[in-house]
Amino acid sequence: MSSYRTDAHEHVDDGAVHAHISSVPFYVAVFVGLLCLTVATVGQSYVDLGKANLIFVILIATMKASLVVTFFMHLKWDNKFNALIFLSTIFFIGVFFTYTLNDTDKRGELDPDQNVHVWEKTGEEAPGGMAKKEPHAASSAHGTDQAPPAGEHGAAPVQQH
Amino acid sequence: MSTEAVTDPVASPGDGDEHGHDAHAGGHHGPKWLAHHFETPVQQFDTAKLGMWAFLAQELLFFSGLFVAYGVYRSWYPEMFKAAAHQLNKEMGATNTVVLLFSSLTAALAVRAAQVGNRKATGRLILVTIGCACMFLVIKFFEYKHKFEAGLLPGRFYHPHLEHLAAGSPPLPDNTGSFFSIYFMMTGVHGVHVLVGIGVLIWIWIRNNRGDFSKEFWTPVDIVALYWHLVDLVWIYLFPLLYLI
Repeated sequence: MSSYRTDAHEHVDDGAVHAHISSVPFYVAVFVGLLCLTVATVGQSYVDLGKANLIFVILIATMKASLVVTFFMHLKWDNKFNALIFLSTIFFIGVFFTYTLNDTDKRGELDPDQNVHVWEKTGEEAPGGMAKKEPHAASSAHGTDQAPPAGEHGAAPVQQH
Repeated sequence: MSTEAVTDPVASPGDGDEHGHDAHAGGHHGPKWLAHHFETPVQQFDTAKLGMWAFLAQELLFFSGLFVAYGVYRSWYPEMFKAAAHQLNKEMGATNTVVLLFSSLTAALAVRAAQVGNRKATGRLILVTIGCACMFLVIKFFEYKHKFEAGLLPGRFYHPHLEHLAAGSPPLPDNTGSFFSIYFMMTGVHGVHVLVGIGVLIWIWIRNNRGDFSKEFWTPVDIVALYWHLVDLVWIYLFPLLYLI
């Protein structure tokens, strides 16, 4: 057990917690910074920058989040492993976004009235639509098919012939 | 601080009584707030912080599912999102942002007060934080109330009443219910976090009054403040993404 202590905390010899304590004016300054960024993001919303709108929104929000995480949440003075946990979380959220949007943005055309995606050429429903349709995944394997009457089979695969 | 009454929540429940006769107790020379399975205060502190950060990471990943849903739908229906966001009250959203940011400041100052051993200030600052949290929910309630009156509801419950809609706003497409599904889900789950935050802040306030904390031991104040900052962090993204499209 004592080896844990000396390895992880070279500055500790008494085993007590030695945390960094920021001053009150410092915390207030961070808060004022957060207020200024809030004013900036609200002000920006009255100016239409087209596609750049979203970039500004994310940029300002990330600046605010960085202030909160670094100073209010003490990550600057905290054990670096905690910062690693936080940053790897952000990384995996990025992976989540990138892969999901790479999928959903490259599907068929939109049919906004139905909330479904439709293949432009055939008019067939593309994968990923919201509206619940008859389970015709099994039947489509047979090639030509009539859509089976809805509401008779539940979730079970539809049998043909 | 009454003897024996204060057991660390980390310690396994129900072992308090046996301890006097336990072989473990012989090695336990630390202060009352130091759980017997920790060698030193700093080890206990680092363990608590590590656990909390792992929990916060989970919280962020959990919220990221909602943010991805938002991203997918906004990218599918950009015009609908723009029109729907006009129905949200920017002023109320901005006010709530300031309220939450201020509560984050008071939470950070409460931790500082606990670190320097100022019990009275810690209690007062926690109360201010709780007050801000309640104010946030009250403002949110009035926003929700308007959405219900205007029929701006999730999915198939969406039935807009034209007379209640914001004046001069662009016409709402038929699938605007999708936006309000996402709006209510994101702000609703965030609101639940605010409620839980009020609960744990009250718990910390009571413990502070009881004299559980000192210059040497203020870990629970720190941990709860971390949670509260996370609630603020999520709102920092929610506000511009929902209200300022």
